[in-house]
Amino acid sequence: MSLPLVLLLMWAVTYPLRLLGLSLGRLQLPPFWLNFLKFVPVSVFAALVVPDVLGSSEWARRLVGALSGGLLMWRTRHLALGILGGFAAYWLARLAGL
Amino acid sequence: MTSAFFPPFWRGYRLMFPLWLGMVPFAVAYALTARSAGLSLWETQFMSLTTFAGASQFAAAGMLGAGASALGIVFTTFLLNARHLLYGLSLARQLPLSRRQRPVAAQFLTDEAYGMVIVNGPKDPAGLSFPFLLGAELSLYSIWNAATLLGSVAGAALPNPQALGVGVIFPLAFLGLLVPLLVDRISLLVALVSGLGAWGLSRVLPGGLVILLAGVGGALLGAAFLTRSQQEDAPSEGRPMKEMP
Repeated sequence: MSLPLVLLLMWAVTYPLRLLGLSLGRLQLPPFWLNFLKFVPVSVFAALVVPDVLGSSEWARRLVGALSGGLLMWRTRHLALGILGGFAAYWLARLAGL
Repeated sequence: MTSAFFPPFWRGYRLMFPLWLGMVPFAVAYALTARSAGLSLWETQFMSLTTFAGASQFAAAGMLGAGASALGIVFTTFLLNARHLLYGLSLARQLPLSRRQRPVAAQFLTDEAYGMVIVNGPKDPAGLSFPFLLGAELSLYSIWNAATLLGSVAGAALPNPQALGVGVIFPLAFLGLLVPLLVDRISLLVALVSGLGAWGLSRVLPGGLVILLAGVGGALLGAAFLTRSQQEDAPSEGRPMKEMP
């Protein structure tokens, strides 16, 4: 199979799912599934964060960064401050040889 | 387009600036991987312009370099990106899009745009709107493609992006979106189960599939608890349902 064809097929398996989800907004759903969709951000964000921290080869430093950043964001509700603080803590842990 | 389009569009566009910091090295690293796998500059760029999904582009570039089969690469891409269905479903609940808006919004949908828009969109003066979503989406699309080009052209002359430790930016950004959503015991439980479940699954399955499975599993658990407590409250009309902040 030629490379341009592979690239086109990659697009062809990605785009329709994005479109399908966005097209189902007017679907009438029972309460259970409405609740399901309410929890999607919580479950997806957690699933994006934890493996990226604990599953990393530098997990100890990242854990320090994530705990510091998370604590900052919890106390201040400020996204940029949390990211910068977490990144600083990550670097401190890294410089400390963790 | 009306003149009311651009103010929310630019607010959406600017919303993503903090994430550019993590995006640029990621795209540069993708371009380096793709070029070293033998993709031409145009092919490397074409993948960023069409598929536009970081993790699967990385995986595909790596697999091409390792001589994997074409069908294997396409199937991996499908598995990694199936989670986007969930983002579309969740977004469309809160933001009904017109027949013309949907195909446009779909092309540029990513983890980051979904996360930032679903949380910050309702706080925008214009509310969660199509221009705001498109602004956030195109913010990432423009920087992702610019950084892909940069990596393709200047790759060898750039410092190794991984060495800067910017890999920690993405989990931090999503953590920042997650923390304000942890408002009660059910959401805390959902986050714990999904997060730890994803960590366990990630040892045996590809990343995108892990997020889809853990995302669906966690949300099912939350829905089961919340629906039950709503039914218990139902006779007296109960307390108001918890809305996403």
